[in-house]
Amino acid sequence: MNRYLKLVHMEVHRFRWVLAALMAITAICQISALIVTVLTELSRREERLSQNIGNSSAPVPAKDPLTFEWVMMITQQWFSLPILLSIAVLGLYAFIIWYRDWIGRSTFIYRLLMLPAARSNIYFAKITAFLLFVFGLVSFQLVLLPIEQLIFKLVLPADLRADSHIVEVISINQALAMLIPRGFEQFLYSYGLGTIAILTIFTAVLLERSYRRLGILYGLLYLGACGLAVVFPILFLGVGTPGSSFFPEEIFVIVLVMCALVSCVSVWLGMRLLAGKITV
Amino acid sequence: MIEVQDIRKRYRRRDVLNGVSFNADKGEITCLIGVNGAGKSTILKAVMGLTPIAGGSIRIDGQAPGPKLYERIAFVPDRLTMPTGMKLAEALRFMEDFYESWNSERASELMRFFGLSYSDRVGSLSKGTAAKFNLLLGLGQDSDYLLMDEPFSGIDLFSREAIMEVFTSELIEGRGVLFTTHEIGEIEHLIDKAVLLQDGKVSRAFDCEEMRSGEGKSVIDVMREVYRA
Repeated sequence: MNRYLKLVHMEVHRFRWVLAALMAITAICQISALIVTVLTELSRREERLSQNIGNSSAPVPAKDPLTFEWVMMITQQWFSLPILLSIAVLGLYAFIIWYRDWIGRSTFIYRLLMLPAARSNIYFAKITAFLLFVFGLVSFQLVLLPIEQLIFKLVLPADLRADSHIVEVISINQALAMLIPRGFEQFLYSYGLGTIAILTIFTAVLLERSYRRLGILYGLLYLGACGLAVVFPILFLGVGTPGSSFFPEEIFVIVLVMCALVSCVSVWLGMRLLAGKITV
Repeated sequence: MIEVQDIRKRYRRRDVLNGVSFNADKGEITCLIGVNGAGKSTILKAVMGLTPIAGGSIRIDGQAPGPKLYERIAFVPDRLTMPTGMKLAEALRFMEDFYESWNSERASELMRFFGLSYSDRVGSLSKGTAAKFNLLLGLGQDSDYLLMDEPFSGIDLFSREAIMEVFTSELIEGRGVLFTTHEIGEIEHLIDKAVLLQDGKVSRAFDCEEMRSGEGKSVIDVMREVYRA
């Protein structure tokens, strides 16, 4: 347990600058987009007022107060862009977290595999660290939203703004709504599926590292088989499929069982490969 | 004792190891000799459980290689085994954190002996300095056995001398040392036992002193017989 925690700490330590950079990019993009949008709207209103123009094509009438929700809608792209960038970087890191130990001048995998502890610690430390990165970024976004709301209030005079609820703010941005689901059940589905995907990628990487050239094929086949196992019940047994005799609840249970099966097989196979098949 | 019995391994349709058997005793320096591609490094990796074997068995004091044994057997590969971004001080702390057999005092002495700086980053070390640091990571453990892959290969004269000095010091005494090389010249006097590999097999294994006194041949003489035959 102690060595597992030390390995988790080491993995987090190795990724800390990338994580900090992603957080910084997110904060800079979102806050600057928020300030620019509010200031642009303010100057537009002042201009309209000075020109005494009654009607305009602006999304918010000149006299209506601005809400944080409205800013979120207008700056949708600038809010989503760093989120999508973080997702892309983490997606890539699911591979790099393993390959960085093999490739390059230093082959740290030698040391990791020679640690006087069960090799499963390496696997669990990497998946734990990865989940910490994901939830670290999500938590950062959650902390950032109230800060952004505060900045919105500081930038805009009180008579020109109206209050908005943070839940509404999240739901108006598609990327945020996906990142921070409203219900716990939805949260479990999204992040559960994400975790399963990472577990299958880890196992595919270990297949490649164990069987090298042939391992690429094994890895791809494994990823395909896992993907098929999860979507098969929905695509071929689902409601609306000709000849389907399953209720939606039954399909749901089958999908859950398949997800559990894919997770267990991925972890088990990953352990087996690390313990006896992996080669440096 | 490290017992290697009839180990086999195929790689890319070639028998890299084709029934290799030998023993390496504690308190002795055993050298695996062979041309490039003879399977020397593969044997060390197999002993350390870093590559699977297709057949045969490996025993260290009667036990199969496993996590517990990594406290008692240290491996110095021919490349760096710490992340390039790590400082040497961090690498030493890593070893101390993970190995109960780590001897911090000895590691500090070796840092001084090799003239290494704690603040240097692993990635910034020259080949010779990296070899010294790698050796330090192996010697820093209070292990019974020490495995080294080409410790003298491709390094400068002074680094080589420093490493050779370690071989004749009390740091090695009492341990079973198994190392590989393809350049035997300068280090012949250090070796107790030689295992000559050819085409994935052990072609000769002998006690160097017995060979010298009994047949009047040096290790290089036997190598000539084997590899030029």
